[in-house]
Amino acid sequence: MKQATLATIAVAVTAALAGNAAAQEGLPITVSGFGTGALTMTDTNDGLFNRANQVGGAGKSARTGVDSNLGLQVTAKLSENISLTAQGLVRKNGPSDQYAGELAWAFAKFKASDDFAFRVGRIGLPVYMISDVRNVGYANIMLRAPNEVYRQVIADNIDGADVLYQHSFGDTTVTGQLAVGRTRFHAASNYDVEFKPTVSAQLLLENGPFTYRLGHAKATVNVYDNASLNTLIATLNKFGLSSISAQMPLKDIGGSFTSAGISMDYNNFVAQGEYAKRKTDTRVIQDTSSWYLMGGYRLGKFLPYVMHGDVKQDSIRSFAGLPSSGPLAPLAAAANGAIEAGLQSTSAIGLRWDFYKSAAFKVQIDHISPRNGTGYFVNPKPSLAGQSVNVYAASVDFVF
Amino acid sequence: MKTAIAKLLLAAGLGMCVAPLFAAEIVVIVNPKNPATRMFSEQAGQFFLGKSSLFTPIEHNDGPLRNEFYKKVLDKDSTQVKAIWSKLVFTGKATAPKEYASSAEVKKAVAADVSAIGYIEKSQVDDSVKVILTVQ
Repeated sequence: MKQATLATIAVAVTAALAGNAAAQEGLPITVSGFGTGALTMTDTNDGLFNRANQVGGAGKSARTGVDSNLGLQVTAKLSENISLTAQGLVRKNGPSDQYAGELAWAFAKFKASDDFAFRVGRIGLPVYMISDVRNVGYANIMLRAPNEVYRQVIADNIDGADVLYQHSFGDTTVTGQLAVGRTRFHAASNYDVEFKPTVSAQLLLENGPFTYRLGHAKATVNVYDNASLNTLIATLNKFGLSSISAQMPLKDIGGSFTSAGISMDYNNFVAQGEYAKRKTDTRVIQDTSSWYLMGGYRLGKFLPYVMHGDVKQDSIRSFAGLPSSGPLAPLAAAANGAIEAGLQSTSAIGLRWDFYKSAAFKVQIDHISPRNGTGYFVNPKPSLAGQSVNVYAASVDFVF
Repeated sequence: MKTAIAKLLLAAGLGMCVAPLFAAEIVVIVNPKNPATRMFSEQAGQFFLGKSSLFTPIEHNDGPLRNEFYKKVLDKDSTQVKAIWSKLVFTGKATAPKEYASSAEVKKAVAADVSAIGYIEKSQVDDSVKVILTVQ
């Protein structure tokens, strides 16, 4: 069924494109697309490996759902200064372990001058260095964006507006972006998260082979319909532990995400790194610091690379003064469990091969070491704690 | 003075002997109405990497001319450039340049658009376009 759905979409897309190619001449409409077909597997069944906001994942048997996707983007140029863009994306995301389509973007862009542009509609939330292209495998060297950093904010887009500024000062190109909007999305564990409003700003400096990025985003966060947290908070209140539950608000939570990144493409050396800090006013969305660093060397059409990523928790992982034995011990354990972030590091080695003019083949092996628990693995068995996991993935990325 | 000129001529002559990796010299062209008169190689390269939207780049289909231009002006190969454009296209920041099958078509497109910038073999240049850079 899944395969059939994906195949149907692929056929529909191809047909649409073929039709378009014939009709395109003279029409101000451009259609472009991207996709990744991938197989992902690990060396354990004690937990499942996945990407941010997926409910299922890969174990010992290879699965397509972790890293595969298909995107289609249509831009209509209405005039010299006004264009409309929509992007549809098919992937596994959210509480259903099925491929599903989503409207990733739908915006109108107004180019006010050579330097300034405004967009209104559904736009990408620019919190990461590769925010907008993290699903476009072809545009990236690595097979997937490192989980340690890219799981900290799982919203992909917002409904709102932004202003883009780009200007070259001598050798340096400066790009600034300020986006304001709101979003509500389904988290994989079957509850809703809302950012209302969110303000996100980023500044990029490109100079020769180097790109530097600084980003800062703020949001007022609401968590809806989280059954397990609602029950936990009600139970804590019932047992007179409101001083604990008061540290776990689910409404009107202030949150921020601050990040810095650098990328380099110098002669045949490539490198990319990001550091990001998440802070919120609730203990159930933990304060974290995360980073990764990737380096590679281009040998013609081949690009071998290595990556290391890590995430640590800055907020407390257990409440002081909760009983660890007696009748309240299970409740204390549940409360502490709710404020523990997944901790892990990943060391990866991979190879990108540009085997065709708009397609690349990649293989990547991740060695993941969870710390103080089971990291980001889903459905973990207790035996996973303290165990390292290897993840093997191969993909074909293409654009058209 | 005379010897200096002679040396220059000699150097130029030697240069001619060493230079032609690609069969023809490549020139960067703009519309004759474009006020630009001269451009550095780095500046011209910006447009073909989508780093500036001041001018609209006009591209060739994949082929030796395009590869030579990328190598000399951008110091990149075509897959690198393709990856850079895929980033721009799928961030909604830019649309990929229109591609044409021949230098004659590129020339026609540049002649038709005041803000266009393209590149063709020097031998293809005529009055419909203005040369602002000879690619070294």
